[in-house]
Amino acid sequence: MRTYFFKKRNQLFSVSTAICLFFASAANAQEIDLLLKGGHVIDAKNKINSKMDVAVKNGKVFRVAADIPASSAKKTVDVSGLYVTPGMIDIHGHVFHGTQPDNYLSDGLLALPPDGFTFRSGVTTVVDAGGPGWRNIDVFRKNIVEPSKTRVLAFMNIVGHGMRGIEAYEQDEADMDAKLTGAIALKHKDIVVGIKLAHYIGHDWDPTDKAVAAGNIAKIPVMVDFGKALPPLPLEDLLLKHLRPGDILTHAYRYDQEFDKNGKMLEHKQAIVDVKTKKVKPFVWEARKKGLIFDVGHGGGSFMWSQAVPAMQQGFQPDVLSSDLHTGSMNAGFKDMANLASKFLVLGMPLADVIAASTWNPAKVIQRTDLGNLSEGSGADIAVFRLREGDFGYIDANGMAIRGKHKLEAELTLRDGKVVWDLNALSAPIAK
Amino acid sequence: MRNSKTQFTRLSLLSFLLVFSSITLSAQEIDLLLKGGQVIDPKNKINAKMDVAIKDGKIFRVAANIPSNSAKKTVDVNGLYVTPGIIDMHAHVFQGNDLGSYIANGQTAVPADAFTFRAGVTTVVDAGSSGWRNFRQFKAQSIDRSQTRILALLNITGNGMYGRFEEQDKTDFNPEMTSYMITKLFPKYIVGIKAAHYWGDFTQVDRAIEAGKLANVPVMVDFGEHQPTNSIKSLFLEHMRPGDIFTHTFAYGPNDRETVADAKGTVKPFVFEAQKRGIIFDVGHGGGAFFWRQAIPSIQQGFKPNVISTDLHSDSMNGGMKDMANVMSKFLNIGLTLEEVIERSTVNPANVIKRPELGNLSVGAEADVAVFSVKKGDFGFTDVRRYVLKGTQKMDAELTIRAGKIVWDLNGVSGMAWDSPEALK
Repeated sequence: MRTYFFKKRNQLFSVSTAICLFFASAANAQEIDLLLKGGHVIDAKNKINSKMDVAVKNGKVFRVAADIPASSAKKTVDVSGLYVTPGMIDIHGHVFHGTQPDNYLSDGLLALPPDGFTFRSGVTTVVDAGGPGWRNIDVFRKNIVEPSKTRVLAFMNIVGHGMRGIEAYEQDEADMDAKLTGAIALKHKDIVVGIKLAHYIGHDWDPTDKAVAAGNIAKIPVMVDFGKALPPLPLEDLLLKHLRPGDILTHAYRYDQEFDKNGKMLEHKQAIVDVKTKKVKPFVWEARKKGLIFDVGHGGGSFMWSQAVPAMQQGFQPDVLSSDLHTGSMNAGFKDMANLASKFLVLGMPLADVIAASTWNPAKVIQRTDLGNLSEGSGADIAVFRLREGDFGYIDANGMAIRGKHKLEAELTLRDGKVVWDLNALSAPIAK
Repeated sequence: MRNSKTQFTRLSLLSFLLVFSSITLSAQEIDLLLKGGQVIDPKNKINAKMDVAIKDGKIFRVAANIPSNSAKKTVDVNGLYVTPGIIDMHAHVFQGNDLGSYIANGQTAVPADAFTFRAGVTTVVDAGSSGWRNFRQFKAQSIDRSQTRILALLNITGNGMYGRFEEQDKTDFNPEMTSYMITKLFPKYIVGIKAAHYWGDFTQVDRAIEAGKLANVPVMVDFGEHQPTNSIKSLFLEHMRPGDIFTHTFAYGPNDRETVADAKGTVKPFVFEAQKRGIIFDVGHGGGAFFWRQAIPSIQQGFKPNVISTDLHSDSMNGGMKDMANVMSKFLNIGLTLEEVIERSTVNPANVIKRPELGNLSVGAEADVAVFSVKKGDFGFTDVRRYVLKGTQKMDAELTIRAGKIVWDLNGVSGMAWDSPEALK
């Protein structure tokens, strides 16, 4: 043992001397901090879908090109065989974690702190979908946005208290104030990228119209979780009469039904695929043409194969993939964003489209075109994925399974140029 | 009041029901059958291909070839390893938004359920996040609100791990209050005592052990941050009792924490002596307490940890630690057998915390079960300094069951095919 370690130390010494000398002579040449070499880059904004190297310097994307020499970089990571993409943007998370006993997703225990779920699945930006309202957006900023390593943004709820409870707070129309919500959204425009309406069970359009009015004031989109009304409000009217181009229908592939005592089927949220004919409803195509955005928002109860499979077969792909992350979805069919992206691969969506729907598309939807791309000068939020081949299974929100041959795994995640996740130690030095 | 006739009718009805139910019971008496897996249950000395039957949330039977027609639901776990639900004896799950706090109700702690089931863990022991003053809050917002079974080591410091400075307050090391919390109030949840992060002499350890004696529970010691270092030989042989736990075994902080292996990588002789004496060596990987340069030579020289654990918190979750399955995989790649790894993550921690009912698949035990796949391939594992060890095996938690309920299913092995006739009904 003794000789071994002694020798080792001697070697170390001479190696470090050599490195020092090398650094001194080659300082000019090594202008790149980190070089991801040999990967297949998918960057929808810049229409790149080919083998290229990505250079990072000072926390920004410095260069994306074929064959950037390793000698120009202080550190090179071999990512050959892997896919290099912009860091994913999840526009439907619930990360307003708090310890208020009955606060549901607004400073409550059902929301999750973001960092434990983002980086390990290639996500670098998460948008909380309506946890905070105007009354507690400042608490959200202080408790979540500022301390998190993940970039955290928000859709602010039209309800002043946010998602404090479906049965009570979220039905209180007196607490839905378009002017105030729009004004406070503008005040927090660095983090508020949209307005959310969710869980409303009443049978009228006022809350929807108020959310849109708030969106008009702040010039930001509205995301609607088209609630729990019985009898349902017509989805067609929502999409074609009330929402604007650029507004978002989330839980696109949800289908929930209930039967009344006479056995008649009742739908809370009308499905986009007709349950009997299995056809995507004509007004849904029309809404897409009009510019409405269809978001996945998988969650614990909002993604069914019985909707997604026929929709995808008919070419109705989602505009945006998103999680609806909370304690009820994290361990069920959803799991994490990489798992969700894998599901759409299984459904036949091309990898480049899956990546676009998790990066550049959501960036455009939330009007943050500085994100979701690898343009030179962009913040170096980058994900590196492995596309595993094998026999995998995926379950929907009803626990129904589908088999697939592919699975995406986040190997390496960079946030502002810093390695924040490294599954298999690709970026680490060798121990012995 | 009753006449004999009604009584007779009742009796015959009852006996009819009994007979009837015993017939149907024998047909489908099992709720969930895990079929075809390799069962590793070190407590019961099982390492063989067996089926595991669950009924009413308990282990009903473990045997070869239990017929599927005796079960309401059968899951094929061929090629996978079926083990007791993993016990992570060192985690920090008292999460909250007190921005002034470190771990106690602070953001460095994490919600248990987010990290347990996906790594095969069904029980975590919170290692001293709370003390006697804030244990109730911990219970209300974490223990009572989690699906994971959460047990706790109570910090000898009254406010738990609020912050490094607060943890130096000698006047707050209160053995009586700490032991009362265990003996009088929460024996169901508190399984031991924690001493950690103290910069002084042996005072904190001695007070914790005093509390441990009063409550008859083990003490876990995180023995670092002393400058100069305190002697671990003295700690092991003069202060700790057999059954007490030394955590962060493979840490390397030569200036503030004495190491188990010396500068040449030789395990110090008194370490073997201490382990023989009954001192428990716990991994407690964490964000700064696991070094290949300590762990690898130790294993090579036959010094194996008694317990494998994570020291899960927000500074370890995305680093070299990641999750319990990843930490277990590391030991698989540095020379422990799979059986040794499972033993150190199930029955051993159960015995250390004096919860022999946990960490096994004995008939009648609560059905906390993990099912792992062991992937073969080219993997990398980092220690806390981000040095890499290449490995060929990696454990994935495929299925996790807590009290008989499926709480994690990585590849949908328990799901019905979405387009099967039954699903489309």
